[in-house]
Amino acid sequence: MKNKARGWQVITEWLAARDRKPFTFQEEAWKYYMQGKSGLVNAPTGYGKTFSLFLGVVIDWINKHPEDYQQKTKNGLQMLWITPLRALAKDIARAMEEVLQELNMPWQVGIRSGDTPIATRQQQKKMMPEILLITPESLHLLMGQKEYPKVFTHLTTVVADEWHELLGSKRGVMVELGLSRLRGLAKKAGRPPLKVWGISATIGNLDEALDVLLGQPDQEAVIVRAKLDKKIELQSILPDEIEKFPWAGHLGTKLLYKALPVIMNSKTTLIFTNVRSQTEIWYQEILRQCPELAGAIAIHHGSIDMELRVWVEEALHTGVLKAVVCTSSLDLGVDFRPVDTVIQVGSPKGVARFLQRAGRSGHQPGATSKIWFLPTHSLELVEAAALKAAMEEQLVESRIPIVLAYDVLLQYLMTLGISDGFHATEIWEEITNTFCFRDVTEDEWAWMLAFLSTGGDALYSYDEFKKLEREGDFFICRSRMLAMRHRLHIGTIVSDAMLKVKFMSGGFIGMIEEWFVARLQPGDAFSLGGRTLEFVMIKDMTVLVRKSNAKRAIVPSWMGGRLPLSANLGKMLRRTYNEALSGRSDMPEIKILQPLFDLQEQLSHIPKDNELLIEMITTRDGYHMFVYPFEGRLVHEVMAALLAYRISKRQPITFSMAMNDYGFELLSDQPIPVSEGDVHDLFSLENLTLDLQASVNSTEMARRKFRDIAVIAGLIFQGYPGKHKASRHLQSSASLLFNVFKDYDPQNLLLRQAFNEAFFYQMEEARLRESLDRIYNSNIIITEPESLTPFCFPIKVDSLRENLTSEKLEDRIKKMRPQF
Amino acid sequence: MEDVIYRYQDQTWHLSPHRAIFWQEEQALIVSDLHLGKGTHFRKAGIAVPANIGQNDLYRLQLLITAYNPSQIIIVGDMFHSRENNDVAYFRLWRQQFGNISFKLVKGNHDILPDAVYATLNLEVFDTLCIRDIHFVHEPCEEGDTPGYTFSGHLHPGVVVAGAGRQRLRLPCFYFGKHCSILPAFGRFTGLATLEPALDEAVFVIAENSVLKVN
Repeated sequence: MKNKARGWQVITEWLAARDRKPFTFQEEAWKYYMQGKSGLVNAPTGYGKTFSLFLGVVIDWINKHPEDYQQKTKNGLQMLWITPLRALAKDIARAMEEVLQELNMPWQVGIRSGDTPIATRQQQKKMMPEILLITPESLHLLMGQKEYPKVFTHLTTVVADEWHELLGSKRGVMVELGLSRLRGLAKKAGRPPLKVWGISATIGNLDEALDVLLGQPDQEAVIVRAKLDKKIELQSILPDEIEKFPWAGHLGTKLLYKALPVIMNSKTTLIFTNVRSQTEIWYQEILRQCPELAGAIAIHHGSIDMELRVWVEEALHTGVLKAVVCTSSLDLGVDFRPVDTVIQVGSPKGVARFLQRAGRSGHQPGATSKIWFLPTHSLELVEAAALKAAMEEQLVESRIPIVLAYDVLLQYLMTLGISDGFHATEIWEEITNTFCFRDVTEDEWAWMLAFLSTGGDALYSYDEFKKLEREGDFFICRSRMLAMRHRLHIGTIVSDAMLKVKFMSGGFIGMIEEWFVARLQPGDAFSLGGRTLEFVMIKDMTVLVRKSNAKRAIVPSWMGGRLPLSANLGKMLRRTYNEALSGRSDMPEIKILQPLFDLQEQLSHIPKDNELLIEMITTRDGYHMFVYPFEGRLVHEVMAALLAYRISKRQPITFSMAMNDYGFELLSDQPIPVSEGDVHDLFSLENLTLDLQASVNSTEMARRKFRDIAVIAGLIFQGYPGKHKASRHLQSSASLLFNVFKDYDPQNLLLRQAFNEAFFYQMEEARLRESLDRIYNSNIIITEPESLTPFCFPIKVDSLRENLTSEKLEDRIKKMRPQF
Repeated sequence: MEDVIYRYQDQTWHLSPHRAIFWQEEQALIVSDLHLGKGTHFRKAGIAVPANIGQNDLYRLQLLITAYNPSQIIIVGDMFHSRENNDVAYFRLWRQQFGNISFKLVKGNHDILPDAVYATLNLEVFDTLCIRDIHFVHEPCEEGDTPGYTFSGHLHPGVVVAGAGRQRLRLPCFYFGKHCSILPAFGRFTGLATLEPALDEAVFVIAENSVLKVN
């Protein structure tokens, strides 16, 4: 694949002068790019994926300007580089700038994110850099500015970096919408079609990832794969005595003493935990057990002050840190060369995430990445075994793209409304060419336009609704106040109301959730960012604290840390259990669990391949029914609701439900009417769709989904920074809005979206049917153990519960007492 | 729809599941925290909540008036949510049906309309009100702040009830403390604040169409 063009020559010579040679996949990408194609580059971090596209653009530019590419300035924005993380943008920009400098190209590389200073933005407005690195949110903000189309008049290329991260999230939908507008602008101005490229790590559905990016099928589009085999070795940290290891739990600090030698024998270790509170606890615990590490360990998660995070990242680069305790906040990003060890605490819940984390160590091409798995409770070791098997078979999960996210579309339409306004027919054409909204109906579109212009389809004579003004086919926002408010709301990452935490003497420490602070009394000690702090007071939406020497500190638990096991890992888990339970496995993780399985067999039963185990246990809490389908949390969530609903049709009864990745529990205050004779009916495929709908409707699943939707669609007013009093009459909770819509506007599209999102099974319905069918045709074994079993224990202690009832509210209350 | 009769402080209180109390001795209907105009206030700010919440609340009040035929209505504050809007105009029309009933508004923190407006709405306005030694104050006060027994609103009280099988429910309630009673919010576009009653205080929860004593 030789190319005599000038650009190609310049770049290969430049590389050769540095003793480097392009990877094959990079050359492929350059070639396709120059042919004007769009596509997807599939390459892991650390192998020049950035250069596979960035240099392609440079080569193409040199080809087109062979004589004066070293002189030409002010060329306007050529390439947009969309990245999910602000922190990534800085490093990538640095790498690009270095290259341009060495090539003597006077191109500018700019960054546009929430952190970009106003002066820089102003400058960018006057003259855009040739390359702009941008987050999806900032892209939308850019489109919310007057005369935004001018910014893009020279644009030829858009790259979506870390596309696998964005795909499957509403931020991905933001990218789809942004792209639809950019394509529309190019078409309208008669410019050649945009070249759109994604960069993605390996996921199960790369083809679909490309389809989502391009919106419409493009026969010419290509997927370029970097065939670089990364060797990954997984080793579990096993407890010395499995009998003394807890049956449930999620902290894992019990095994810290076995992890310390691993940390000590490594240069730099990343310790990944699943939730932020866990990082705080681990950090404190490491210091307690190993005080000599003070100063050599750090903490990194999303609620910590950005400056501190940046410091940690720099320190990782320079290798001064021995260990960093972190969450997914360090999943992505450029390489930290000194990192040679990774420890995963608890299940990572997905193969792709585990691979990505493992990849953070051992960067030299060809080197083996080693990752340690540290279980937080016994049965989690089965997950380690399943992960190993999944990795061996390269079974990587898919990221399921989101469809029909009306909330994001409403936000986007408002964004267009506050800049130059939009013509509905034009935007309709564009959005129906996206993957997310290709199935949107004209009725739904009309509803959305009405929602923004008249506040819903019902018109009342006393109405004073104001948002977008309609002039025929044209919609525009003429209120400066509404426009300003909308700008503050752009984005789809919804977190609880967060408050800043500052020292009395000044000095920002991090963010903390409002509901946690609400429980604190002045004088209480809590930990944040690895520090112990004393709560003094709340002032101007800021939590004021001072240093504390307290021995005991409350650890804030940030919500939303629970991840469902991916479908692939679920399947593998089922198989691993089958092997483990039949004694066929020779993995150390499984062998060590043998005493636990023996106990399970003794107390209850160990299900065979063709069996489903149900345990009926009575405790002080009430009557429990534990079911073990081994299908993963998402399927269990729906199956639990379905079973609860079907039982509740037999007699008035109320259930609370809990589930994990291998089973679920129905708990009631009265005996559960299920016997060997009628248990099969609960798994019948008959009336499945209707029963499912009814069961999801009677739980609170949709209410929880509605929270994010309400914020994204702009129904929750979060206030202006520094102007809280003026907005107090506009405050309401998502839960209250949910009630109000349910009672007064049940046809609301956003409510429907909440139910659709709760019906996640729709995407998994095939899997649900399959497993119901399997269970229906298998032996169902019901045991009545005297005490809790190793299987049921981790489910029982789970406190996050769903409810379903067929009793009258009045009858339920009569059995209850107020809680003090 | 059935109310519950509660004898307390030597008076007879009918607790209605419509979130109101009928005071038999005074032939007075007592409601609190209507937050009329809240939906409209949101809609004016571009937040498309359903348009008919306020009108629906007034319709429910109308049903109560028809059922109890009171001579006066005591509103324990937060009658209107914010500044004047079209829901206020709607109330003005609605009010004309009940010219013979006196409406007594004990002002709450949300009641920020100019006094002249209340006059045009035919509302008598008070900072506090005292009838038969029963005091009406919008915000619940600490024990000893007022001379007698007080009825308040403001909090939008709710209570958590729990039972076997890890069941929990959070419901709006009437709360009768030793010195102070707190009414549930009448308006449906209002949230709940969880109270923790003492063992010897009466609490009645509102469960759809009935009122139940839980404490």
